Amino acid sequence: MSETKQQNKKATDQKAANETISAKRRALLKGSALAVAAGGLYGAAPFMGPWKHNKLWAQAGQKKPLTIGLTMDASGMYAASGGEERLGAMMAIKEFNDKGGVLGRRIEAIHIDTETTPATGSRVAERMITRNEAAFLIGAVHSGVANAISQVAQKNGTIFFNTNSSSPTEAGKDCHRVKFVWDGNGTNFAHAIVRNAMKVNGKNWVLLTNDYVWGHSTSKATRALVEANGGKIVEELLVPQNTRDFSSYLLKLQQLKPNAVATAIGGDDIKALRQQVVQLKMNNSTAWINNQQDWPDVYGLGPEQIFGVFGTTWYYRLDLPGVKEFVAAYQKQYPGMAIRVPGNVYHNAYMATRELLRCVEEVGSTNNIAIIKKLEGRKMAARDRLQHYDAWMDPATHQVQQTIYMASYNDKPAEKDDIFKILAQAEPKDVMDKDAAGACKLETYEATPSYEV
Amino acid sequence: MDFLVNLLPHLINGVSLGLLFALIALGFMLIVGVMETINLAHGSLFALGMYFALFIVAPKLGWFPEAQAWYMQLPIGTRYLFALLLAPLFVGLFGMLLELCMRRTYGRDPLYGLLLTFGAALVIEELIRLVWGSNEKQLPLPEAISGAFLMGDLIYSKYRFFAAGFSVFMIGLLWLFLEKTPYGAIIKAGAHDSEMVRALGINLSRLRLLVFGLGVALAAIAGVVMAPIWGIRPHVGVDAVVPAFLIIVLGGVGSLWGAVVAGLMVGMVVGLTGSYASEWSLMSMYLLFIAVVTFRSRGLFGKKSILDV
Repeated sequence: MSETKQQNKKATDQKAANETISAKRRALLKGSALAVAAGGLYGAAPFMGPWKHNKLWAQAGQKKPLTIGLTMDASGMYAASGGEERLGAMMAIKEFNDKGGVLGRRIEAIHIDTETTPATGSRVAERMITRNEAAFLIGAVHSGVANAISQVAQKNGTIFFNTNSSSPTEAGKDCHRVKFVWDGNGTNFAHAIVRNAMKVNGKNWVLLTNDYVWGHSTSKATRALVEANGGKIVEELLVPQNTRDFSSYLLKLQQLKPNAVATAIGGDDIKALRQQVVQLKMNNSTAWINNQQDWPDVYGLGPEQIFGVFGTTWYYRLDLPGVKEFVAAYQKQYPGMAIRVPGNVYHNAYMATRELLRCVEEVGSTNNIAIIKKLEGRKMAARDRLQHYDAWMDPATHQVQQTIYMASYNDKPAEKDDIFKILAQAEPKDVMDKDAAGACKLETYEATPSYEV
Repeated sequence: MDFLVNLLPHLINGVSLGLLFALIALGFMLIVGVMETINLAHGSLFALGMYFALFIVAPKLGWFPEAQAWYMQLPIGTRYLFALLLAPLFVGLFGMLLELCMRRTYGRDPLYGLLLTFGAALVIEELIRLVWGSNEKQLPLPEAISGAFLMGDLIYSKYRFFAAGFSVFMIGLLWLFLEKTPYGAIIKAGAHDSEMVRALGINLSRLRLLVFGLGVALAAIAGVVMAPIWGIRPHVGVDAVVPAFLIIVLGGVGSLWGAVVAGLMVGMVVGLTGSYASEWSLMSMYLLFIAVVTFRSRGLFGKKSILDV
């Protein structure tokens, strides 16, 4: 009897176990079918590119810190500028964290050196998005690096702020829905400088061009403006990146005898060029038009070495409300820095990061598409950005249209760091890159993967 | 005719550039030739030479203001001369310390030596950043060798001619040392067959220490000379180590005249392409390298390997 009971019990247990297993199997199959169906309904089956799905990472629900990836150079020809823009972004993040973060979440920044190398930029961006779950990427000086990062960002839908790379292609043919460009570009600076420089110096120009995308696109803009105003480009000398010896170029320039030399040389290359120009005393004998001069590239140079006329987007002694306080905040936050006062690179990174976090707050979520829409066409008051004219984010190109300053060396400095003399400021509408909108084909919102972290 | 007249300044420039390249490669050549170690810290030691020179020419010491004021009253020419003598001495001593660390790698996989010198390069660069900061700096020059002079209707840099002349002087001095002194004979013998040198009772460890110190001091001299041309920044060494490596392979490992001739060839090619096909100016040295090594794998003056016999 008991044996029969035991057998019955075993049979019952076996049945129950089988039912549990099959229930699990059914649930698994059902779940898988639902997942596939959901994927199909949404428009794409799993593992079929292009990726088009909503990422809902664990951070959002659990009030975990919001991660921002800082894609800034710490080595290579733009290491100095990379360091400065990192300080700018960190300052804005600190200010928000001091107020309790954003959307009640603390902001955490991670930084990986992009090495002024496009391939490294891609790798860093991929890692930050997929491994570190960075909600946003901020930072770039080299246009090749910026372009590489933005391709990865667009693939993932991650908003990327190009803070300091000023190639016209960044808001032109290489624009992306997720990318926003915060620096003035080569065309803006050329518009601000070229016409006046031609009147003063003459019509025969030579272009000295860094042989990569920023140099090429900037010189192209300069060439177009010179020729449109009746001038002539006598020759364009291409300078490979990381050139340290300019003697053959300077000899060639002497043989060509142009009225003006327009340079689109950046980073350590321009530092070496300046030094060698001064050695030959060509800083006085030739008119130099330097498209844009980043603060970390000239800070600490002597009066002789900051020659020619150049463009910038900001200067620490602009006579505008709020500038002194901005400088004081930098000095308080970063005492004992080699660069004692902030420059345009720091300013761009700070303003960009602050605007991003403001948009997140205004939108009330980290939904990328909503933030992108908030940024497009966004108006930014001159007083708020510490510039002379109001700025706005061009919705067609995703580039900030902002005040452009023309400057030269200040021979009557009020203090040691006062090395720029601001000659004039151009309104954003007068220096707009009119070809950019035609060249820029932004991806549609639908083609941009959406996410919320 | 006009073409030749225009070409001449570029040829002169190419020669002066080549001499500077040769100077950069000399120390690298000596260490690779004798010790069969590729010193990847060559560039960082080159940079360290620049910074020591800056410290000697324009010291910034907060502790002894009076001593500093007295020192700064010395003519800049004197301070520059001190820099040319003392910076290589200090960096050479530093190099000797590095060689002591390297001893554990001798006789092992050459990768250990490479890794050690690579690590040393990173450490030196960061030390420079810590001590001097990461900003661009300039080495003040004596009036006599700064500025420019006119030749025909072209302006030339006085300093560049001084630097080229100094390079010739250094090459000559090193040649005299290697060829006309017993120490040079020992070094050359050590490069050829170190075991035989040891068997003859010569202290090989001391020889390696001295050669490494001398090679590093030469890197520092090159740094002092190049500082006013390239500028001073912590990562400037990277710009030196690549051409140095290329030149010693091109000239033939361990050959003084190989390094000099290869340096001149590289200078000439870079200088001429900079003027007439500027976008190729950096690439040209690599093309030259490929062209030479394709037909002569041991470089221009490299000794025939036992495997080639």
